[in-house]
Amino acid sequence: MPDLEKLKQALIEGDWKAAAAATQAALADGVAPLTIVTGHLVPAMDEVGRLFECEEYFVPEMLLSARAMKASMDILRPLLAETGVEPIGRVVIGTVKGDLHDIGKNLVAAMLEGGGFEVIDLGADVAPELFIEAAATRNANLVALSALLTVTMPSMKTTIDAFLAAGLREKVKIMVGGAPVTQQYADSIGADGYSDSAGSAVALARKLVAA
Amino acid sequence: MRTALEHREPDRIPLDFGSTNVTGIHVSCVAALRRYYGLAPGPVKVHEPGQMLGWIEDDLRAAMGLDVTGVFPRKTKFGAPAVDWKEWNFRGLEVLVPGEFRTTTEPNGDILAYPQGDETAAPSGRMPVGSAFFDSIIRQPEIDPEIDEAKLDPADNLEEFGPLSEEDLDHIERSVRAAGASGYGVIASFGGTSFGDVGLVPAPALKNPKGIRDVAEWYISTRTRRGYIHQVFERQCEIAIANLERIHGRLQARAGDAVDCMYVCGTDFGTQTSAFCSVATFRELWFPYYKRVNGWVHANTAWKCFKHSCGSVERFLESFIEAGFDIVNPVQCSAAGMDPAGLKRKYGSRLVFWGGGVDTQKTLPFGTPREVREEVLRRCEIFAPGGGFVFNSIHNLQAGTPVENIVAMLDAVHEFNGVSHA
Repeated sequence: MPDLEKLKQALIEGDWKAAAAATQAALADGVAPLTIVTGHLVPAMDEVGRLFECEEYFVPEMLLSARAMKASMDILRPLLAETGVEPIGRVVIGTVKGDLHDIGKNLVAAMLEGGGFEVIDLGADVAPELFIEAAATRNANLVALSALLTVTMPSMKTTIDAFLAAGLREKVKIMVGGAPVTQQYADSIGADGYSDSAGSAVALARKLVAA
Repeated sequence: MRTALEHREPDRIPLDFGSTNVTGIHVSCVAALRRYYGLAPGPVKVHEPGQMLGWIEDDLRAAMGLDVTGVFPRKTKFGAPAVDWKEWNFRGLEVLVPGEFRTTTEPNGDILAYPQGDETAAPSGRMPVGSAFFDSIIRQPEIDPEIDEAKLDPADNLEEFGPLSEEDLDHIERSVRAAGASGYGVIASFGGTSFGDVGLVPAPALKNPKGIRDVAEWYISTRTRRGYIHQVFERQCEIAIANLERIHGRLQARAGDAVDCMYVCGTDFGTQTSAFCSVATFRELWFPYYKRVNGWVHANTAWKCFKHSCGSVERFLESFIEAGFDIVNPVQCSAAGMDPAGLKRKYGSRLVFWGGGVDTQKTLPFGTPREVREEVLRRCEIFAPGGGFVFNSIHNLQAGTPVENIVAMLDAVHEFNGVSHA
């Protein structure tokens, strides 16, 4: 399948035009959308995550691969919805209330989507009630919270507490991340998991939804 | 401070807070410190409204036992000159802001700031409820990936860089004269030499910024549009050196040269666990321009060159030295590969560590005064021997930091120095 190899290469190289073209070509060849995702898109983004982990890739390369992945998913997403195929998990993601920083969160969202998750990205400066509403209405099983600032880290706890108060804490796993966040802090606020990079966030998410 | 900058061990570690926009204190903490030390009440000046940094007046500088003062550009982050101070109620705290600093409050409580105080322009800063400072608003529609590269004009990314006005030079002359007369060490932030600092790329002081102003797109451009970035940096570098020539000429002619160090650039190359680019990319894209600016400074002045970069930057330090940087800040020991003892051993004779004194992500905001004291004493023991250390926390003191922890930090430095204060 030369087009699918091209797709993988386009994602790794961050070439969004080539990624879109290879996706269209694969569909025209009759390859099922789910096969494109699980067989090619997911392994390609795993490779991007690996390159980031071993510091061959940095933020600009990750942003480019995320853009290429999005170009492919924009084509595939409606087709996947039509087939009714369940994703490996549904994740509601956002930067917590008071915090407008979203580059790290966007990279995690892209890596999760490229990892086979359905991603509901609420953006930045997201109030606890919006996380709750989205998790409930979209039947999410995972919530991912991001914060860059020590000033806004407490919003992570507020959000987790709001899930408890709403009686929804047992229905979702909650993972946290962001520059000042540590495993110790994640444990102290009752999060289910912590990740220190976009690449390892995918592995953590897979582990949490499998638990 | 001068002794420490020359890598000789001074009688005591020099201490900085408030001399630059990366070594400052949030206005709420400045107000708390003034109360703690029993200083004259009244609203504190916000001299950097983006990060809401409070001005350290001489009485507080003396009470804290500081050794450094700063020279700042005439205009603040959103383009308002730092004059004609007016009262502003910052979520219950009365502060002073520049006269032309103007804001509006959204129905949800978010505060918007306007470029050059022009409320008819699109706002360029937002402080959400729950935050304590402004983030730049990206005033650029998402760049169409089909963007016609040929239409990108480097001049659009240079609008904020230009020749200094006589007003700017007058301001610098006055500020340097006052700083020199204070007897403290002097670090000057003249502006214009930060290459691709994503804190400034959105151009919060411009009413209608053009070019590449989206932070993510800028990062992408460092990979995909290197020719464009080189053209921006090349021209910016020429403008900056011409400005430095005029500043230096003016200071020598009229003000005496009281400047000890120059804040060159605040572009961050490190993240918490990694870097924003490879060393090879740094050397291709930034190194030539840093070398030219620092080279001019060293050839023409006695100023030391100060580089700020957050995060895990150990991999870049040899290149920083080769590019002519004398000082690094904030020495983020909490980031990967930034072990303080290792940094001191490997680079301590060649780089001044201006920062690294205490962790501001964990210990200072969330620890106990005892934990703060212990960490500060440990860092002083590591960084002080042989000079080359100016005490500062790792970046600005953030809102919400308990005042007793700040005082514990200061007291620990004075304890190490064997000096009694306040």
